[in-house]
Amino acid sequence: MASHGAAAAAGSDATSVEVSGMCQTNQPAYPPVPSGDHSWSSSTGAATVSWNYPVDNQSQAAVYYDPQRDVSVSGDNQNVASSVPPVVQSTMGLTSASQSHVPYSNSLQHGYNPPEYTNYYYNNYPQTTNTSAQQGGANQHSGAAYQPLTSFQNSGSYVDPTSNTYYNDGGHQTAPGYGTNNYYYQHDTWNHGSSENNYAQPYQNCSSSDTSLVQSSSSVPANSFSYQQQYNQWPYYYNHSVPSSAGNPVAGSSNTDNRSVNTVSSYSYPSSEPPPPGTTSWKSNSGPSVAPPVQAPGVLEPQNQYVKPAQEISGFQYQYGYHAPGAPLSQNYYANQAVYPQNTMNVNHVPVNNHGDQHKSGSLTTDTSSENKVQVPVNPRIAPGFSMVIPKSEKKILGADLAKKPAYVSVSVPENDAKAVQHVPDARSLPFSLRNYSMRNLNRCKDEAQKVACQSIIQEITNKAISDGTLLTKNWDTEPLFPLPENLLTTPETSSANNSSPLSTSTPRRRLKSRWEPVLEGNVTDKVEPVAKALMNGSTQSVFVTSNNMVNNWDAGKFLQSRHTPLNKITKRPTKKQKIGSYSSPMQNGNTSSDSDKEQGLTKYYTNATALANSPEEKKRREHRSKRFEKGKDSSSKSRSSAANKDSMAHVRARRAISALVTSNYEDGGSLAVEDMDWDALTVKGTCQEIEKRYLRLTSAPDPSTVRPEHVLEKALSMVDTSLKNYLYKCDQLKSIRQDLTVQRIQNELTVKVYETHARLALQAGDLPEFNQCQSQLKRLYREGNKGCYFEFSAYNLLCVMLHSNNKRDLLSSMASLSKEAKQDGAVKHALAVHSALSSGNYVIFFKLYKQAPNLNSCLMELYVERMRFEAIKCMSRSYRPTVPVVYVAQILGFLRIDTDGSVLNGDDRSDECEIWLKAHGAILSVDNSGELQIDTKASSTTLYMPEPENAVAHGDASLAVGDFFART
Amino acid sequence: MAAYLSMGEAHRRINDYLSRLSDAISDSDGAALASLLAVSSAPASTPLSDALAAFPDFARLASDRFPHLSDFLPQLLRAIHSHSTRRFSDAYSSFEKAASAFLQEFRNWETPWAMEAMHTVALEIRLLAEKADRELAMSGKNPDKLQAAGSFLMKVFGALAVKGPKRVGALYVTCQLFKIYFRLGTVNLCRSVIRSIETARNFDFEDFPVKDKVTYMYYTGRLEVFNENFLVADQKLTYALVHCNPQSESNLRKILKFLIPVKLSIGVLPSRALLEKYNLIEYADIVTSLTRGDLRLLKQALDTHEDQLLKSGVYLVLEKLELQVYRRLVKKIHIIQRQKEPAKAHQIKLDVLVKTLRWLGIQMDVDEVECIMACLIYKNLIKGYFAHKSKVLVLSKQDPFPKLNGKPI
Repeated sequence: MASHGAAAAAGSDATSVEVSGMCQTNQPAYPPVPSGDHSWSSSTGAATVSWNYPVDNQSQAAVYYDPQRDVSVSGDNQNVASSVPPVVQSTMGLTSASQSHVPYSNSLQHGYNPPEYTNYYYNNYPQTTNTSAQQGGANQHSGAAYQPLTSFQNSGSYVDPTSNTYYNDGGHQTAPGYGTNNYYYQHDTWNHGSSENNYAQPYQNCSSSDTSLVQSSSSVPANSFSYQQQYNQWPYYYNHSVPSSAGNPVAGSSNTDNRSVNTVSSYSYPSSEPPPPGTTSWKSNSGPSVAPPVQAPGVLEPQNQYVKPAQEISGFQYQYGYHAPGAPLSQNYYANQAVYPQNTMNVNHVPVNNHGDQHKSGSLTTDTSSENKVQVPVNPRIAPGFSMVIPKSEKKILGADLAKKPAYVSVSVPENDAKAVQHVPDARSLPFSLRNYSMRNLNRCKDEAQKVACQSIIQEITNKAISDGTLLTKNWDTEPLFPLPENLLTTPETSSANNSSPLSTSTPRRRLKSRWEPVLEGNVTDKVEPVAKALMNGSTQSVFVTSNNMVNNWDAGKFLQSRHTPLNKITKRPTKKQKIGSYSSPMQNGNTSSDSDKEQGLTKYYTNATALANSPEEKKRREHRSKRFEKGKDSSSKSRSSAANKDSMAHVRARRAISALVTSNYEDGGSLAVEDMDWDALTVKGTCQEIEKRYLRLTSAPDPSTVRPEHVLEKALSMVDTSLKNYLYKCDQLKSIRQDLTVQRIQNELTVKVYETHARLALQAGDLPEFNQCQSQLKRLYREGNKGCYFEFSAYNLLCVMLHSNNKRDLLSSMASLSKEAKQDGAVKHALAVHSALSSGNYVIFFKLYKQAPNLNSCLMELYVERMRFEAIKCMSRSYRPTVPVVYVAQILGFLRIDTDGSVLNGDDRSDECEIWLKAHGAILSVDNSGELQIDTKASSTTLYMPEPENAVAHGDASLAVGDFFART
Repeated sequence: MAAYLSMGEAHRRINDYLSRLSDAISDSDGAALASLLAVSSAPASTPLSDALAAFPDFARLASDRFPHLSDFLPQLLRAIHSHSTRRFSDAYSSFEKAASAFLQEFRNWETPWAMEAMHTVALEIRLLAEKADRELAMSGKNPDKLQAAGSFLMKVFGALAVKGPKRVGALYVTCQLFKIYFRLGTVNLCRSVIRSIETARNFDFEDFPVKDKVTYMYYTGRLEVFNENFLVADQKLTYALVHCNPQSESNLRKILKFLIPVKLSIGVLPSRALLEKYNLIEYADIVTSLTRGDLRLLKQALDTHEDQLLKSGVYLVLEKLELQVYRRLVKKIHIIQRQKEPAKAHQIKLDVLVKTLRWLGIQMDVDEVECIMACLIYKNLIKGYFAHKSKVLVLSKQDPFPKLNGKPI
């Protein structure tokens, strides 16, 4: 087990290990090469999987492949990766959490399959393939089944590698949430893989999960907008994964199971005791026919049963994956829920045993047990096991942390420490805390040599502190661990270690230091890497163990958390904060932290937004975010892996300095005025080279790795210009460009161009709100002397004010602000002519101008056409007697196109259109002697009315209609 | 200005000023207090300001002598000093602090004896803010003092809009607020003040001083012009005109500047003499065009004075007179036709109209003119109907051109 766990952490290595056998020993033997090839080649089983995998992928891809995905997903590479698993891994460079997941799943499945179920074997295979490929096949499946979800899944799949890494390094707040999502989806996908019949399932599951989220914790908003919520959601996801694994056996898509937190609890039960639920699940695996009574509602076809095993496995994998990547995060959770983990541990063990027994695969048993632990984390209730487990986990964690930490340096640890500090007054713990500190450092050491080096460093530090006189005053608990002499490690454990302190567990408390302390900056990816390295070095055993423990703790923590959340809002909130902190740190972006604070303030608000969580809008948003993070991860991970550790350290320091600045600002003033901040120091210089980027409203300071520098933005703009995609896509792209410009404080001709482009597109799409945003920015930019199409936009502004705001004072000031030259401009002249036509109510001139409108003036006028026509017809029915010919009206009101020589083009069509329009507005038509259609003006004058727009939506914006979301790219 | 002021003399002058201030407060002498608070109206050099310049420690002197006024007097002296040295931004800041302290005290005084002083403070703070903003704008900074003055005056208004004798002072502050809001272009902020003045039961409009009423009516009338609410605007501006002090011609002119366009739009034309008396010649051509039905002249007049009219905000009102000019034109044609051909006087051919307009130098095609006629009928400027088939405007035989009679278009 331990080996497996380690493998998982290691990622690619793990996969190879798994494939080869369940044996721990095998794993070390395998070189931890990041490339997927290794893993594939390594074991026969794996190989088979791999073979299957491509096939599956292709088939699935053929069916489900979404062209859009590519688009939406920033990285084409990712797609490629999905198709070719090895590539992905290699590109990632980091052992991604997803990979780690895979290994687990593989091992589990293998164990199951060989011993007992040949039948399932088949099912398992797909699974394994999926898992190995991870997202490739499975995701596509899901995607196909459910479009909106697809995006998620896609993101998930792509992200998976990334997302995991993301957690690790990215540290973005959102990332975690997404990661979870991804996992979750993967579950579904897995199911798919096992049984094709289940296509529908992913969808169902998803929906069920959503509902469950909502239901389970009303207090905890499900997928709602805020990142913080997502944090909350974590527990959910976990729950889901668990239930799914449990419930799936019964019914591939056991919505019922998933729905509520209760399911989770039930799951936990089984874990504690083999009998009811647990057994059922297992049984289901063994015998397809067996449908657990408990889950009866969800019982599906036999195929589903097949799926079950897969699902279970997947579930395991999920959790695993979570753990590994999540390790850093787990700290937070851990702290809050420290007590629970123990329980979970126990529970887990039990199920594990069951597993092992049933399957009788000795080698696997260890693995399974570990896995089980992970999965099970379920029951907080089972208190007895607690104390026992915890110490172990803590120790292990500590060890792991120590080992891993060097790379990350102080990041996660400080946070935890800070918490601990809060609990324990400094005065008392002073000597103790220092000891702890040195212990922490020492524990990280892998081997004796390192230890020695560490000790000397500690000695130095201590001496320095003594000479400084800071020995007693220094907060050793918050003191960042120094980098290990050799850069080996990862920190996830550290966090857990910190968590391990009983005090930290239970409560959400304020940290002494601000959350965003630079310390937090450790990267998950880095952590993972170190682990891998550790494996390579041969210290696999201990690492594995630790990682497993970590995982367990994590799960437990999460479960606990999930339980807590619904019950206790207060606890929830603190956790969130902590998470945020930890995330931000991984991002390495000191700036991030500053905003996360505000975010916290908004947490409540977001929480309340739960209801919206399931809306398509929200889904779309999530998709956005996840994608974005993907990219972020990508780039950041790359840079990291490439950069020497020392370099990265330096980087971290620099960032820290910035964040420290921000922090101090916040701490000092609490509410330091925005104006007082030194924006120059905080201005971001982007490094992202991606041309395409989805828009995500920033909720924290921008990460330079996701911000594109000016020359890239130029390319992005021309890409949008030449793109043939729809407005929504372009709008999204332009918004992200605008955002990047803003965060980099670029205000020049390019900025003007971007806003002008966006404003024009918005006009063409009739998106006035967006247009107004651009327009107001443009006004400012022009005023500040940036060149652009000033006259053109002056005309738009005039038209906008006169047609759509109806504010006389605005119109006056707009007109008064026009320069003499502006008034000579064609477009402005046109706008002024429109104004005078409006003021005298001259609809004939209005529609003439409408046809001759330069630029996009017609777009603005078009929005007014309906009203103008109605006014005109009212006027005509009042003043004309006895009749007006429809043809004339059609011509006057712009229904007819008049050729240059005055002849009517398509006269019939147009007057038909006019006739329809007239009828729709209550005009009474009659045919005169000559057979010409006339409006009976006297009769019509009392019957005219403005019909309700057919496509009206309750919220007034048809573009937000649900159906539209599915069409969005 | 004294070339040199001894410390003793400066000390004496400052003490003198402080004593007078203190006495005015203790004697409840509002007028005296008000005169002592008039900071901005003082010339650059007064005996007091010289003394302040010569005796830099005046703030401590003031707070030592009158500890109970220590949050008021030093700030006031600082404001006077800064103002005399033409540091208006500083002067405003100090004065606002002093004014806040004063307002605090004012709230505690049961009788409205200090109303005059309060009004002076309200006026001073606005004037100082305007000066400060000018100074800030010149130095490229954000001129936000007037806005700050606005929010301070809202506080003053809150202190006055209570039951009791103080409420009669509220309208003065309201008018100061109007002035600020109009200057800042944030006239929508007026609405809340207006609502409390017009709806609150503790205000009886007639109780307010006439000068405040006139000012108030003038500003609210202007607001109604913006909203093209001509009847109400007419009523308010007429009230202001009638009650305005006939001696203050500049005020009358200001009122007329808005009242005339309003009256024009409801069909009441001013005499040439009136326009000349109040130097409102920019309206003369417009009035002429209305009487003659000369569309070209109207357009010219609007063009000539466009900037001015746009700035004052009556451009859009005058622009709408176009329809009245058309009506006048049709009426003239009708009169001529009636002389020539009484039988068909009420039928006006579209061709004739188009020709007439062309003669005026306005190129319009038949459809456009037809549309204008339809609009005239639609808006009740002309009684009758338009026969599309024969392209004839048929006028009602009875009162084809109804008088507007105060009805807006």
